[in-house]
Amino acid sequence: MTTTLDTPTPVRRPSRWRVLGWQLLGLALLLALWWLVTDVLRLYPPYVFPSPRAVGTEISYGLWGTGPQDGKLLAGIGNSLRRVLVGYAIAVLLGGVVGLLMGAWRPLRDTLGAYLTGIQSVPSIAFVPFAILFFGLNERAVLFVVILEGFIPVALAVSGALMNVPPALRIAGRTLGARGLDLTTGVLLPSAVPSILTGLRTAWSFAWRALVGAELLVSASASLGAQLEIGRNTANIALVIATILTIGVIGGVFDALLRVLETRVRRDYGLEVPQ
Amino acid sequence: MTPRPTLLALSLALLIPSAAAQGATTLRLGYFPNLTHAPALVGLERGTFQKALGNVKLEPKEFVSGTTLTEAFAAGQIDIAYVGPGPAINAAVRGMPLQIVAGASEAGAVLIARKDSGIRTYKDLAGKRVAVPSLGNTQDISLRHILKEQGLKAQTDGGTVNITPIPPADVLAAFAGRRVDATLVPEPWGAALEAQGNILVGTEKTVWRGGAYPSTVVIVNTKFAQANPAVVTAFLKAHGEAVAFLTGKPAAAAAAVNRELEKLTGQKLDPRVLQRAMNRTRFTTALDAGALNEYAALNVEAGYARGTVNLAPFLNPGFKR
Repeated sequence: MTTTLDTPTPVRRPSRWRVLGWQLLGLALLLALWWLVTDVLRLYPPYVFPSPRAVGTEISYGLWGTGPQDGKLLAGIGNSLRRVLVGYAIAVLLGGVVGLLMGAWRPLRDTLGAYLTGIQSVPSIAFVPFAILFFGLNERAVLFVVILEGFIPVALAVSGALMNVPPALRIAGRTLGARGLDLTTGVLLPSAVPSILTGLRTAWSFAWRALVGAELLVSASASLGAQLEIGRNTANIALVIATILTIGVIGGVFDALLRVLETRVRRDYGLEVPQ
Repeated sequence: MTPRPTLLALSLALLIPSAAAQGATTLRLGYFPNLTHAPALVGLERGTFQKALGNVKLEPKEFVSGTTLTEAFAAGQIDIAYVGPGPAINAAVRGMPLQIVAGASEAGAVLIARKDSGIRTYKDLAGKRVAVPSLGNTQDISLRHILKEQGLKAQTDGGTVNITPIPPADVLAAFAGRRVDATLVPEPWGAALEAQGNILVGTEKTVWRGGAYPSTVVIVNTKFAQANPAVVTAFLKAHGEAVAFLTGKPAAAAAAVNRELEKLTGQKLDPRVLQRAMNRTRFTTALDAGALNEYAALNVEAGYARGTVNLAPFLNPGFKR
């Protein structure tokens, strides 16, 4: 049998359910391996590497325990999510404005844009001591670091996206009489949306990481960072692992949501072939 | 040529003792540069430990908090250590192989408020920011108990008091920068803050149990102790001598402590400040099991453990094999 251009070999992507099945199987294997290393072979003492059961216990107490000291993980999730959402919202607004300005005015892009790229390479935790001295040991210090980390990818994505708009679109817009703000909001921005969305997703993961890093050092009220610190201070490695898993799951869920949005938009823009 | 049985037995006999001793040629000691760890400071400064240990080399390691010390202990990097009862109990609860073999100091922690913070009594701590050396440490647990008795709560428990971990050596800078309003610190940091005009709100006696509570204990790695009982015994003898020197010749001891602190922190304390700090600390080798058990209960009350543990298996005062 010959294949021609008209009848391409059908590349079947596995169905969503099948992917989920594989992922669940992988998770089960990982848990089994963990259980084997800790509970069965006892390769490490429990205060160095606890069993899945010990970590599960910490998660269940932390989420829905009813004792006077329980529910700390849930409270931490609440506080951390509130902080990151506030910080992220501000970062997106600020990044959007700065990105627009950089996209519109070349000298700003050449100066500020270059600096922002430099700042972005500094790990967020490096800004925490400065933030503490400037704002004090409080939530504002945490928010400062989150906003700083979150706004840079947005600003760079917005200005980059504006720069990368195909010249034909710009010319077409001008020909149709769009100038200045009209051209930016009516032609340039809509065509830059897919790239901006990618920037928003990067900004989310930067902000989330910056948050946990800052909370670790400014652990005043209940938060995921404080949970890590308390677990460390009380030699409770099971709590540390439980918190790491929580941070990973929350980060992953939000990233997946943003990815769905991004894919949908890219599909609408004809950048991705629907399955 | 095959070795004759007697020769083989002889060579084995020569080999076995050294193998049983695990070749413990070093003793790794952990401690903090605080007055509550003064027996360690004195023992190091005067060479008491090394003299008692003979051929076993002492390797002292300085830590800033019980947290890092416990981590080093868990990683098997420390054989014996001076540490607060808080970290010691937490580590024991998690199954770390340790024994509490002696007391070192009692009381020696005070609650100091910044002069312009408006705090004059424990009640005034409401809505304020209070520093402790680290979360889950001895002073943190004491502070949470004080708050509970005053009907106050930490922010993490839905209250208004913001408990912030700051290493004691950094608290002076935090006070100067108005970053905290008060602190529950071990000496000599309390006396040093007081000398700068800050307010003594809780004395060593009002912090807990009229001052009859352990601030520092000596812990030993169970495995190391089993393999090297003679080394541990020798160290504890030297520890006893250091404590006797502290209680018997306080003036000479204060000078020794100051020299060692200066070596560690680069700063010499005003002798009057050090004297005041020493007056607030009691040095002893005795272990108050009752106080330690109460402490374990406070640890649960503070939310750092879920249930009280039986500390008996971890207590080995005087170190009996």
